[in-house]
Amino acid sequence: MKVSFQALSRHLDLAGVTAERVAEVLPMLGLEVESVTTFGLAPLPLVVVGEIKSFEKHPKADRLSVCQVDVGDGSIRQIVCGAKNFKAGDRVPVALPGTVMPGGFEIKVSKLRDVDSAGMMCSSEELGLGKGEDGLLILTPRQPALGTPLNSLFGAPDTVLEISVTPNRGDCLGIRGVARDLAAALGLTLKPLTVKTAAGLAAAPSAADAVKFVRSSSEFCPYYTLRTLKNVKVGPSPEWLRRDLEAAGLRPINNVVDITNWVLLELGQPLHAFDAKKVSEGIEARPAREGEEIVLLDGKKVKLEPGVCVIADAQRPLVVAGVMGGADSGVTDSTTDVLLEAAWFRPGEIRRVARRIGVSTDSSHRFARDVDPAGVELASRLATDLLVELAGAQVSGPAVAVGKPPRADVTIELSAGYVAAKLGTPVADADVSAAFARLGFTVKASAAGFSVLVPSFRSDVTRPIDLVEEFIRIHGTDKVPAGRPIAPLPGDEDALTSVFTREVSARLVGAGFTECCHYSLRDAAELERTLGADKAALVAMDNPLTAEQTHLRASLVPGLAGALALNLSVHADPRGLFEVGTVFRPQADGTIREFLSVAFAIVAEPVTRSWKSREAFDALRAKRLLQDAAALAGVASVRLSFAAATGGLWQADHAAALVDRGRAAEGACGVLDLRWTRSLGLKSSVIAGEVCFPRTAFAEARKVPRFEAFSSFPPVTKDVAVIVPVGVAVAEVESRVRQGASKAAGKEFALESVNCFDVFTGPGLPEGHRSLAFEIRWRHAARTLTDEETNQALGVVIATLEKGAGWTVRR
Amino acid sequence: MQQQLAQLVAAATQEASAVATRAELEAFKARVVGPNGSLTQVMKGMATLSKEERPVVGKLINEAKKSVEELLAALLVKVEDAEIAAALGASVDPTLPSPDAPAGSLHPLSRTRERILASFRKLGFVVAEGPEVETEWHCFDALNTPADHPARDMQDTLYMPKAFRSADAPRKADEAILLRTHTSSVQVRTMLSRKPPFRIVAPGRCFRRDAVDATHSANFHQVEGLWIDRNVTLADLRGVLDFFVKETFGADAEIRLRPSFFPFTEPSFEMDLRSPNLGRLSDRWLEIMGCGLVDPKVLELCGLDPNEWSGLAFGLGLERIAMLVHGIDDIRHFYNNDTRFLRQFA
Repeated sequence: MKVSFQALSRHLDLAGVTAERVAEVLPMLGLEVESVTTFGLAPLPLVVVGEIKSFEKHPKADRLSVCQVDVGDGSIRQIVCGAKNFKAGDRVPVALPGTVMPGGFEIKVSKLRDVDSAGMMCSSEELGLGKGEDGLLILTPRQPALGTPLNSLFGAPDTVLEISVTPNRGDCLGIRGVARDLAAALGLTLKPLTVKTAAGLAAAPSAADAVKFVRSSSEFCPYYTLRTLKNVKVGPSPEWLRRDLEAAGLRPINNVVDITNWVLLELGQPLHAFDAKKVSEGIEARPAREGEEIVLLDGKKVKLEPGVCVIADAQRPLVVAGVMGGADSGVTDSTTDVLLEAAWFRPGEIRRVARRIGVSTDSSHRFARDVDPAGVELASRLATDLLVELAGAQVSGPAVAVGKPPRADVTIELSAGYVAAKLGTPVADADVSAAFARLGFTVKASAAGFSVLVPSFRSDVTRPIDLVEEFIRIHGTDKVPAGRPIAPLPGDEDALTSVFTREVSARLVGAGFTECCHYSLRDAAELERTLGADKAALVAMDNPLTAEQTHLRASLVPGLAGALALNLSVHADPRGLFEVGTVFRPQADGTIREFLSVAFAIVAEPVTRSWKSREAFDALRAKRLLQDAAALAGVASVRLSFAAATGGLWQADHAAALVDRGRAAEGACGVLDLRWTRSLGLKSSVIAGEVCFPRTAFAEARKVPRFEAFSSFPPVTKDVAVIVPVGVAVAEVESRVRQGASKAAGKEFALESVNCFDVFTGPGLPEGHRSLAFEIRWRHAARTLTDEETNQALGVVIATLEKGAGWTVRR
Repeated sequence: MQQQLAQLVAAATQEASAVATRAELEAFKARVVGPNGSLTQVMKGMATLSKEERPVVGKLINEAKKSVEELLAALLVKVEDAEIAAALGASVDPTLPSPDAPAGSLHPLSRTRERILASFRKLGFVVAEGPEVETEWHCFDALNTPADHPARDMQDTLYMPKAFRSADAPRKADEAILLRTHTSSVQVRTMLSRKPPFRIVAPGRCFRRDAVDATHSANFHQVEGLWIDRNVTLADLRGVLDFFVKETFGADAEIRLRPSFFPFTEPSFEMDLRSPNLGRLSDRWLEIMGCGLVDPKVLELCGLDPNEWSGLAFGLGLERIAMLVHGIDDIRHFYNNDTRFLRQFA
């Protein structure tokens, strides 16, 4: 909303108040000022009126003319000019040498293609007056005297404040609304609005009106008025009106349309003007019917959704109510009789329809923010005044009104002390009622405290709490001191997701990983790689903005792989990267679940050279990091099992999928699919890991560990090696060792650990087999184990292992 | 005798110089002080001496014994040194660079988030979190922003298709599922699940249907705060925010509350910050966060009696704060993940 200082001055006596002051005051009222610009002719003392006495074509340039110009200083000066829109005898603005134009360009005596030029004749745009007609600004019709400074022909420049109006302040979408707030803040009085057209509405058209009926049958139009104006002379608007519109950023069209727009800017009430001759019989606000269409002013053909409120004549819809007029019923140069609509439409419906059609107009924007029902008739009368004055219109009689204003002024009972209680600081009753009075509210003392009558232009003020906001806006927020010191509430703890995020991040930072942050929205190709095409479709968004951001991420790994590639390409020597964040994964029941994911990725071979080489990062180091991360989330390693990962992001035979028996975690680790990472530009293989937890996994408070007593007697350790076919997983053999070793210990003593300490393939072993060696440790709680006991126990282990098909224990 | 002892010690000393290993040391020790060692033999001869001779000779023997023990101790050190040198290999040049990678680093957004959360923890706020994919009800309706309320124009929203079912945010009826546009939805979830009084601070990722540029990002982060209690006031709001700003931007930072509008607070404010220590943004009012007292309508929608309970709420942009604190000029740096950027915050 652009509001000019001059426009505000129509409603307020701003003598002694600068535009800068206004720009400081408005934001503290909740009216944010986005920009302050100058509108109109800036002071240009060296730009004067000159007359083009004669001109001829430039000898060396077809597009230029050499003009002889008189600026009334007793001499004729030669000026080279590129414009074409003038004739000899035209008076035009001439910038004399020394002028600094609004764009900062300084005019000097110069040569243009070898011809002397002593100044510049100016266009409207060059003078900062906005885009006028092409070429020079022709002043001839104004008949100015030669040498007159241009500033004396134009008014003083104006200041335009671009205000961002919050959705609750529909009243400030009119200049008078802004002026009212400003008046309240500055302690000024709003000037009364004088309207000549008589108040009063008719229930039905008279013979003098251009319509036979005015009706509303739409629930979205509870109040509609229409006035007939005859013998209207459509033509250009006077300069002041054009200027006002341009200052507000609107383009003048013709006097009738300009007047409706001017009133809209002034009061915030949209109006619509029909060409009466194009309206068949009468006007009805009614629901659109099945199959109806309309061609809008902007040329767009719209299929009307049945039920949408349209303004129609006896034959067809003419206007999408409150949103946009039709192309064929508006005012044109040949219009003589005008029907002037002023109405009130349901705000929510206007917003819905405007969005549905995909337009936002000055009208729909205001109706959607609840215009003042009491302002409907006033706007109609003000526009009528101007149509009479500027377009010679004849008023046939009162406007015809159907329905009634849907809401009126509101009385709010405000108990004494309520404002102070909400502010947390004492305030005087007198201050409270004074603030409301300045806003145009009527305050009376009541049994409870105050009774505040809020006029209907403030649809947002209906409750005592709304009055608190009104008070503080006017009273000033700086008068509220900082409040009491507060003590923490015992027993409250951070969400465990947050605790985990902090802890796991610290762990990975300690392990040398650098944290990344990628967009959650990814492209289709990435999701198809991660989830497969079928499941990828389940995480696609409905209305993505760009083709690169169409899906929710299901894994953090692709982002990290991309970041490794990016950093290698810019020689930023990435080491390991990690990320903690939300991923979205389709579940067996068809839902999509959010997981808190922790992922890392690292180039297997070091990317920087070193005097001493370290072991490459491998899949099993990734496994350890995942186990540690899971443990921080409360998922113990014993619950986790790892099986070969298949497809997707992971390289076959070199990656593992992680499964949690308690279903609180899932993930994978190992080498990323080499064809994929190579396609990203990564030469070395990339090791990655990801473990994710549903948010529910963190629902329970962490258990406090309980102490368990341990034996003070020494353990006994025995080794066993078993030869198994290559396809048999270590976990399977280990589990068998564990089983035998626990069974052997029975209740007498305890198995403490089983540890695979050697994996061997090579000479001495049958083809396709490998040897796995385990260290088994037992311990007794109350004594030292005997050799006999442990040998016997080892025997049980061996017997258990040899039940495995093709398994041989080495002796 | 005296001479014999002196010879014995001299011989042992000479022999000792050849001892280099632990085995040689043990053999040498046996030759001198073992059961048949040379010194042991002399000591055995004591028995044949007269009463008068014994103290004199005893003293001499003790002196010789002491010399031999010192010799053995020195030899042990020498042998152990040799063993350690053999075990450890060549000496280390402490000026060599470590071949191991240094510690990694937290992302600047994480650092900023943790710093902010730590400030609010001091005031008794605890961290709460909620789903990123939300129901329209939690994101808008319960926050006093019904469908076709013009406040919905303040944010362009990304929606999931009708068929999308979220395990974390099941629909109440047939409302749309969307990517939350603000963390204020966590306010709703907290009020529905907890009994007041409470103070929570909710960091999280949010989404808007915005084209990416230097100050806009399709996803971004907010930190939301909510305090529900009896008699929470505007003075409390100023107290909390003033504390936060001084914690984050230093004691000479000041704030102002500028009236504004959010559907879920009444009165509503933008909090502006002014600080002398923000580089080219110093000494200017900068918009930092939205805040206000919780609108009674929101309390009601979330099952709290507005006559009994009141509250304050605020929401700030993590990127905005991180950019101010670290002087970062383009929001896209946070998401590009160039380690030359990331490691500046190690």
